[in-house]
Amino acid sequence: MPRSSLFRALIQAVGLISLAVSARAQVCVDDDAGRRVCLEQPAERIVALSPGATELLFDAGAGERLVGAVSFSDFPPAAKALPRVGSYKRLDMEAILALKPDLVVAWISGNPDTQVQRLEELGLTVYRGEPLRFADVADTLERFSVLAGTERAGRAAADHFRDGITDLRGRYADADPVTVFYEVWEEPLMTVNGEHLISEAIRVCGGINVFADQTSLAPRIGKEAVIAKDPEAIVAGGMGEDNPEWLEPWKRFPALTAVQRDNLFFVPPSTLQRPTPQMLKGTRLLCRHLETARARR
Amino acid sequence: MAMLETRDLVIDIPGRADGRSLSLCLAPGQRWGILGPNGAGKTTLLHTLAGLHPPRAGRVYLDGAPLATLKRKMVARRLALVFQERQDGFPATVLETALIGRHPFLAPWQREGTEDLRLAREALAALAVDHLADRLVTTLSGGERQRVAIATALTQTPALWLADEPTNHLDLRHQVAVMRLLADQARRGATVVMGLHDLNLAARWCDHLLLLFPDGQHCAGPAEVMLEPRALERLYGQPLTMTRVGGAPVFVPTPDPGDPVDHDR
Amino acid sequence: MPGVSGRGLAALMVLAGLGLLAVAAALAVGSVPITVTQLLAVLTGGGDPLHRELLLSLRLPRALAAFATGGLLSLAGALMQVLLRNPLADPYVLGLSGGAAVGALGAMLVGAAAFGVSGAAFAGALLSTLLVFGLAQGVGGWSPTRLLLTGVVVAAGWSAVVTFLLTLSPADQLPGMLYWLMGDLSYARSPLPAWLVLVPALLATLPLGRTLNVLARGPLQAAALGVAVRPLEITVYVLASLLTAVAVTTAGSVGFVGLVVPHMLRLLLGNDQRLILPASVLAGGALLTLADTLARTLLAPEQLPVGVITALLGVPTFLFLLYRSR
Repeated sequence: MPRSSLFRALIQAVGLISLAVSARAQVCVDDDAGRRVCLEQPAERIVALSPGATELLFDAGAGERLVGAVSFSDFPPAAKALPRVGSYKRLDMEAILALKPDLVVAWISGNPDTQVQRLEELGLTVYRGEPLRFADVADTLERFSVLAGTERAGRAAADHFRDGITDLRGRYADADPVTVFYEVWEEPLMTVNGEHLISEAIRVCGGINVFADQTSLAPRIGKEAVIAKDPEAIVAGGMGEDNPEWLEPWKRFPALTAVQRDNLFFVPPSTLQRPTPQMLKGTRLLCRHLETARARR
Repeated sequence: MAMLETRDLVIDIPGRADGRSLSLCLAPGQRWGILGPNGAGKTTLLHTLAGLHPPRAGRVYLDGAPLATLKRKMVARRLALVFQERQDGFPATVLETALIGRHPFLAPWQREGTEDLRLAREALAALAVDHLADRLVTTLSGGERQRVAIATALTQTPALWLADEPTNHLDLRHQVAVMRLLADQARRGATVVMGLHDLNLAARWCDHLLLLFPDGQHCAGPAEVMLEPRALERLYGQPLTMTRVGGAPVFVPTPDPGDPVDHDR
Repeated sequence: MPGVSGRGLAALMVLAGLGLLAVAAALAVGSVPITVTQLLAVLTGGGDPLHRELLLSLRLPRALAAFATGGLLSLAGALMQVLLRNPLADPYVLGLSGGAAVGALGAMLVGAAAFGVSGAAFAGALLSTLLVFGLAQGVGGWSPTRLLLTGVVVAAGWSAVVTFLLTLSPADQLPGMLYWLMGDLSYARSPLPAWLVLVPALLATLPLGRTLNVLARGPLQAAALGVAVRPLEITVYVLASLLTAVAVTTAGSVGFVGLVVPHMLRLLLGNDQRLILPASVLAGGALLTLADTLARTLLAPEQLPVGVITALLGVPTFLFLLYRSR
């Protein structure tokens, strides 16, 4: 065998091996901004720029690969121990760079766009997320697991979530509609419009959001508007996890159907106000509340 | 009738030595002129006499009572001060401005009555600014504002006038009119004290003079005694030449050979 | 009315009429349509229970709170302008709203209930008042210029703290904080405290009217006319601060009313404080009631910040009056 051909074969072999390695290791997903995000190998050091993204990454099995999070990232409890990289609206660029992340998960509507762009210019790989639908929550779990190389855990979490929602959808598809006012915040009084994920939860449970037709995502409204709509049920979050005090003031209006029938329901805000798998729990509770409302007719 | 008296008074001018304390008696019917170069303390003395500026030492007595112990309102019923500087703050009309001279005489809930209005209108007429009654003070000329200020003091019907440069901004005719008005007040029993920078106005219209030196020294007495050219030269640090016009002394600065003088005129 | 001329009295009657109209309008409109007949039925003690509830526990308290807040702010503004002899002065010029904002936002941040937020706002306003007054006192005693300068610098300090608090706050708290900063009548729980301060304050300032006219000519001239200047200035400062603190506690820092209403009235009615002070209360009350009614009905059910409406109504009116004036 001539020397040159041996050399060529060697090169080919090396080439094949390296190709095989990279083909196995390179991972790509499309993010919510419609960009393709690729990593040479699954991420080892991830920084999450919103509390929601932190939670989703844990659910996707990538919790151990998280090296940084923003303030108020408090769920699951393990997230509290992560080093902080500023708040979601003001990122500490130096802290992020110092962590040498191979993946940064940004929040499209929450993070300052210029700062996120700057991170990219500095050579970091950025995934931009904005889950707006239940389907997005499941998809995001799968994508994170692909990027982190934890596909098995991610797929399981995504399937569990999808199945749970599908189950609820099926169960309440033909249920009698219940008109619902969802109170996001008491002072000022704020609700959600039809675009919001919470509104989808209401739909899944066979409810109708009375302010679905508003233009802004979280419109600020007056008490009198709620009275004018006379919803069958009033659902509120609250300042804490078990603090239904926002429901009390409505009892001053005995003319309201929801008050007459005692359809004033509390859902812990963390289970409904963050676009994460926790929403399955919150939606189930919401559906039970609406069933209670139907039973009180 | 109002008697103003100072005992061992030292006015408080920051950074100036005490000088000689001032013990004076200003009696009804007298027309006092306070003379002195810029910065000698004419305005500070007038404010001190009015009780607006605390003295460094000594006391001022109004009708025998220490000024500092009297209520401001009681003082204002006896004594009026015409300021050299004025602050207009918010726009007000000429008549409104004159009417505030009645303030010390009215109870908090009381509105100015017809008598107050009459006094204000008469005062405006006396200063020949009655035709401006409805004009905003801010739209007047300097001389007109000066006359409104004197009219305000006149509305206050004071027994004691303290006037700081009452002829400021006034043309010659109005200078004479204002000095006549003050002389008339004195004739009716008021005490009139004027801070003046114009030696000749003092020479013509005052019967008593107080010369204030920049170092805190002073001398005071009847005008005919005080109008001594040597003393006045020392007061202003300026050689003076005296002549008489119609019997009254007139002082002019002695020309310096270097001054530009147009002899052909 | 003491010391007010016939023409002034007529002006006050017109303003009082406008105030009543504004309150009537605030009662008549809202998301739930209520006819005049239904409205009268409720006001005479009958009517539909829902309508009763709407009118008596939502619309009426809010309208009364708006009126009192507008009155408090305008009166405080008129007093501050005379005190500082500065037409640019408004109730907030000495940093009072900043102190209140720091109190309120701090309370919101630690999750205090509505009552705690009001209390903290009031405490912040008083703290700021004492701080500015104490600092302006300085070594050489205070003057309006020194007071103004101290107040403006303290206000700048507060605004930095406000920005800091906003940065620290979680996302769900932010809208509440921003609405508070813009001023908002939905925070008003009961109109009672505001009225309990407004009415005695107005009665107390009425006899001061002529004295304030004299004070507007400068402290020396005022002293020469028999005014005890220092006690008067301290009274006016404390009173204006109290009025502002109560207004801010009731509805957050509603801007613009306190600056512009007294000036509009001065352009229309002249500069006699005996007339301007009561007229400010009536006109400020009417303006804020009207603005709040528009804010909650214009894009209903969406609620606008009332400050947007006060400015949109007030700016053109004021500029028109200023343009026409001598």
